[in-house]
Amino acid sequence: MSSWLDYTINGLIVGNVYALVAVGLALIFGVSRLINFAQGSIYLVGAYIGWVAVVRLHTPLPLTIIVVAAAAAMVGLIIERFGLRPLQNSVRIAPLLATIGISFVLDQLVMLTFSPNPRALPSQLPDVRFQLGGGTIGPLDLLIAGVGLTSALLLFVFLRYTKLGWAVRATAQDRDAAMQMGVDVNRVNQAVFGIAAALGGVSGMLVGMYYNQIDTAMSLQATLKGVVAEVVGGAGNVPGAVIGSLLLGLVESYGVAVFGTSYRNLFAFLLLVVVLVLRPSGLFASARQAPPEPLTGTFIAPSRPVRIPRWALLVAAAAFAVLPFFPVSSYVLQTLINAWLLGMLALSLTLVAGTMGQVSLGHAALLAIGAYTSALLSLTLAVPVGLAVIGGGLMSAALGTLLISPSFRLRGHYVSIATLAIGEIVSLVILNWESVTRGPIGISGIPPLSLFGYDLISPFSVYWFSFAVMLVLALLQGRLLGSHLGRSFRAIRDDDIAARAYGLSLNRYKSLAFIFGGFAAGVSGGIAAHLYSYINHETFNTQQSILALTVVILGGLGNVVGAIVGSVALVGLPELFRIAAEYRILIYGIVLLLLVRFRPQGLLGTI
Amino acid sequence: MSNIDRRTLVRGSLAAMMAGAASSRAALAQSAEPILLGVSGPLTGPNAQYGAQWKQGFDLALDEIHAAGGINGRKLAYQFEDSQSDPRQSVAIAQKFVSDPRIVMELGDFSSPASMAASPIYQRGGLVQFGFTNSHPDFTKGGDFMWSTSVSQADEQPLLASYAVRRLGLKKLAVLHLNTDWGRTSRDHFVKAAKEYGAEIAVTEGYIAEERDFRSTLVRVRDASPDGLILISYYSDGALIARQARQVGLKQTICAASSVYSPKFLELGGEAVEQVHLGTRYFPEDPRPEVKKFIAGFKAKYNGQEPDAFNAYSYDAMNMAAAVVKIGGTDRRAIRDAFAKVKDVSSVIYGQATFDVESRRVKGAMNAELVVRKGQFTLWDGKPT
Repeated sequence: MSSWLDYTINGLIVGNVYALVAVGLALIFGVSRLINFAQGSIYLVGAYIGWVAVVRLHTPLPLTIIVVAAAAAMVGLIIERFGLRPLQNSVRIAPLLATIGISFVLDQLVMLTFSPNPRALPSQLPDVRFQLGGGTIGPLDLLIAGVGLTSALLLFVFLRYTKLGWAVRATAQDRDAAMQMGVDVNRVNQAVFGIAAALGGVSGMLVGMYYNQIDTAMSLQATLKGVVAEVVGGAGNVPGAVIGSLLLGLVESYGVAVFGTSYRNLFAFLLLVVVLVLRPSGLFASARQAPPEPLTGTFIAPSRPVRIPRWALLVAAAAFAVLPFFPVSSYVLQTLINAWLLGMLALSLTLVAGTMGQVSLGHAALLAIGAYTSALLSLTLAVPVGLAVIGGGLMSAALGTLLISPSFRLRGHYVSIATLAIGEIVSLVILNWESVTRGPIGISGIPPLSLFGYDLISPFSVYWFSFAVMLVLALLQGRLLGSHLGRSFRAIRDDDIAARAYGLSLNRYKSLAFIFGGFAAGVSGGIAAHLYSYINHETFNTQQSILALTVVILGGLGNVVGAIVGSVALVGLPELFRIAAEYRILIYGIVLLLLVRFRPQGLLGTI
Repeated sequence: MSNIDRRTLVRGSLAAMMAGAASSRAALAQSAEPILLGVSGPLTGPNAQYGAQWKQGFDLALDEIHAAGGINGRKLAYQFEDSQSDPRQSVAIAQKFVSDPRIVMELGDFSSPASMAASPIYQRGGLVQFGFTNSHPDFTKGGDFMWSTSVSQADEQPLLASYAVRRLGLKKLAVLHLNTDWGRTSRDHFVKAAKEYGAEIAVTEGYIAEERDFRSTLVRVRDASPDGLILISYYSDGALIARQARQVGLKQTICAASSVYSPKFLELGGEAVEQVHLGTRYFPEDPRPEVKKFIAGFKAKYNGQEPDAFNAYSYDAMNMAAAVVKIGGTDRRAIRDAFAKVKDVSSVIYGQATFDVESRRVKGAMNAELVVRKGQFTLWDGKPT
């Protein structure tokens, strides 16, 4: 019995830590309807500024907090002014992508300045412990709780009782109307970003002190948990974010209690999916609140796609097909093989996200399902590799569609969050379902690609094989887009109410899109498994999902040729920047930001 | 920072050219270019810290090799390609190295998915993949071009189990392990050995690498009422667990795997890692000459910084590479065959390293039983804590 008290206390303590990030995220979402993926990076920056202040400048705690808050607020203001404000009138998805790019840049800057080694950030509070249940808590626990609750309370009062607060809420409800009423929307945005960033920075510092450890990997984890907590509480709802965080902490803690430590995150993401399915706007969204996303499809703005003449496409395809006859190195071929594999994933995502409007952030899960299915079929059942890869595609189509189906009723950002969670769940199931997936040990000795009894092992044959498969999938998808199916998909994306009124069954069409997309992604994963010969739960990770989404947006949502062009560009660019060693991801982030800034509809435009 | 490898390369080739000019024209043709090794490892991304540690160890070893006259008069240099520990990038790097005739062998990668995805390419391309942190039991099964000096967990874990059970007298153990291929393999070997020595395993808990909060895990540990905690962890998570264990009031003896052996463990853990026991391959006051030379050289080169386990692995790896190239020359196949021929290469980890030709690994890692006292790693004096 006393253990349950301890699990409860521990859950609340961790929830407390999550709340600090979630509140900042909620504030920004409340005003600009944007999930700020850079919030974790500001948290990271805050932690390192705190380290400089404490370890180098020996500032006392109150001064440290002020310094960190001020510096982080500056970073927030810079992000708002130069990263996001120029994107105000562009596609809804552009700011989201920009925050991802900004987080790359910030994380890399911190890593380059401070080296990737973890550092100790000593707490400046007296080390006294209070007995509570079977464990103890210290003054930092209380300080973190204090900061979390006070900031939530202050924000609540600010939003409800001050003029600027009213302006913030007015802007959140209807940006254009607020502007007509004379609200300086830019100033409101600035204020919100400054406050959220200050909060993010201070929380990074406090959490660093709490664990006596800061490192550059803390950014992504903070963002992930913060987003989960925020959405559970009701996106944009500040007190909701605090309660969501505590709930998340409790669920994780009880999950550990009942099933063991390795199931911890599984429960966090399951909680998210359950909440999204049962109460799509979060637990504490009021009924009066305006719907979280506009009903018509402004999430993806229509644009005029670049028309590429058919002969040019033919010439390009022919040129890539005969490329291995020229004296190119295997390295170039291998890089292009990677591009074709990513291209298949991007085709899948551009159909689901671009044509259908379901922006998925968990697409790597489809790769993993295809890869594991194909690897296990060929290894344990001795299925020929060619058939096993197709089996991987089919399994990915079936399982992927089944897993995603509960989130069919969601819209806009919520689809992205739900798919992000489903992606994490798949990866954690692979880690824990040892009897089938061999858990963390992974599957080794996967046979190489082969077709009709011939092994495809030379770079040339793998190149042709993957290029041909991608080409066939692309042609099929091109046909699909031109048919009535493609038109129905786009109708649902652009206005789902009108589409339903016209008699289209949303779920059926969404399923069809995911079945086709799941197949392409599964085949890509299957080929990758046979190419690598070894896979484990880390092979297909969240970074892959984010990369695929970047490709799709870069190429132009729904654009088949764009997906392929984007894949070649995003596989090729980091390889080109190889000469820049540690700086290459930084350069990649900057290039990404510039692209979003100057060509938000993608290189080839949305179809 | 960014181009140490290229700088080393340039510096190496310049020095080689000067050396060549000083001797004869014939020698110039042969020794103008340094012998080039390819390194595939993380310089950015979540494992970037380990790539940075590799570089430190490599550069120190190279300084010593060159001071001793290089490889038959030629310089040795490496080209470090950043893979982010991502299999997609490590396979591209593998093709790059295989098709670059200057590269005579490859070192790395860091994580198992990245390393083992590249293995088929190295095996078919006939370039040695020398994985010096690859403890995955299947790594060297990738083919006869895969060699590893990583300490096999089948060797290391019984040593740790013996320390915990036989020497410290712990009878009921809670094992916390990183839930990766390394952590899982280690745990299985540890549990097997500990049971053989007569201990009972009360609970085992696997956690993911990004985990920060272990309070609830530690409640499970407490409820199993063990008399010792075993950490199969790296230094950052090991320090976190030790801190939180002490904070929630667990006072049991803590015994950790050698991977926590790093000055960072002391820095991050502070008071909480006091009295933590650990088995290691070498230690600061180690009387072995190769260890003394390594530690003194490292401190001199890096402003008094203490080396850690990953520095030692990469230092050893570069020395091994030099020894192999000395025998095998610059022919890739001859280099593979040279791995079977090198004998008793001076090594921080093994004392004297010789490959077992069957498993393509090295056996017989050195073992020292340490304990943290007054914020320092010291040899355990046999006194109970």
